[in-house]
Amino acid sequence: MNAFNLITDAVVSHALGAALSVLLLVGAWSKLRDLSLFRANLENYQLLPDGLVAPAAVLLAAWEFTCGLAVLLSPGSALTVLATAALLLLVTGAVVINLLRGRTNIDCGCAGLSGHSGEQQLSWALVVRNTLLLLALFIAAAGHAQRTLVWVDYLSVAGATLALLGLYVAAGQLLVNHPRLQAIKRS
Amino acid sequence: MSDALLISNAVLWVIVLALVVVVFALTRQIGILYERVAPMGALMLDQGPKVGDASPAFELATLQGPMVAVGQTTTGRSQLLFFLSPTCPVCKKLLPILKSISQTESRWLELVFASDGDRPEHVEFQRKAGLTDFPYVLSQDLGMAFKVGRLPYAVLIGEDGKVRGKGLVNSREQIESLFEAKELGVASVQQYLDQSA
Repeated sequence: MNAFNLITDAVVSHALGAALSVLLLVGAWSKLRDLSLFRANLENYQLLPDGLVAPAAVLLAAWEFTCGLAVLLSPGSALTVLATAALLLLVTGAVVINLLRGRTNIDCGCAGLSGHSGEQQLSWALVVRNTLLLLALFIAAAGHAQRTLVWVDYLSVAGATLALLGLYVAAGQLLVNHPRLQAIKRS
Repeated sequence: MSDALLISNAVLWVIVLALVVVVFALTRQIGILYERVAPMGALMLDQGPKVGDASPAFELATLQGPMVAVGQTTTGRSQLLFFLSPTCPVCKKLLPILKSISQTESRWLELVFASDGDRPEHVEFQRKAGLTDFPYVLSQDLGMAFKVGRLPYAVLIGEDGKVRGKGLVNSREQIESLFEAKELGVASVQQYLDQSA
């Protein structure tokens, strides 16, 4: 078993795919539930003309939801990879533009498992996070059944999915903590 | 042998997941700790003028020009001070709610928006958000006087010039609970929520 086979083993790809799917679905769900807040978040990025913010908010949240479903149901399809990668690149681009503008004090508006509104600010860590999500997407797509799966594999998938989600939430909390720590250091 | 591996695998997963939960709980607690220690980051419930104390009085120029009395009103109405910023999404979300409240409660309540920082940015924000009918003041001293840490923050000042309720507000319910706080005489939104919980 070489390194590529190990990484694209069904257990690894299934776990990454399932975790990514849950992230997207929960993120989309919390945006759709509070669209007026997401609109305000989007407006904050100062990338769209005023008239386009409201439709773009609905579109982005619906897009995210569709990607979540697609990654869950058919992670291997080219369309899934294309649509999800495009979404990730688009939002990462929006973050990078605002980081380059020096606007690090605005809320990321990530919602879902990334914590409550107003907690997570823009930072390069978000760019790293999204790059990792992109990597997870590709691994989930590249996975293939090269051996017969036995029941213990499903235990591994379930355990790894939950662990990945837990780590994501914990890492998100560290991102929330960071500006607070900086504030203490400055004082 | 394979049974032993299976069992050890299952046990390890249980432990890994438990550890992840513990790690998350720890990061969360560290976050709360940072927030409490940080100079301006805390909820600051116990700082600034206490509920029942007389509010500090300010005479401030609004963005439109006229002066407005903040804290000790002369109009005989209560005053809801709403601290906001153009980059605060939750504040924007609450604006339509505040506007409707100011209409229905105009008999006894006047609404004042407060912030600090760059004047042109706020003028533009006030125009875009449709707040030109309301007094909108820029004053760092005002925020300092009420020890405003996080936004959106609201302070309800009674017609007698005493602070009647204050706190971080994230929803219509929390704004309305300030009015409840005024009627019930409890110290803060958070205390009100604790009591009703």
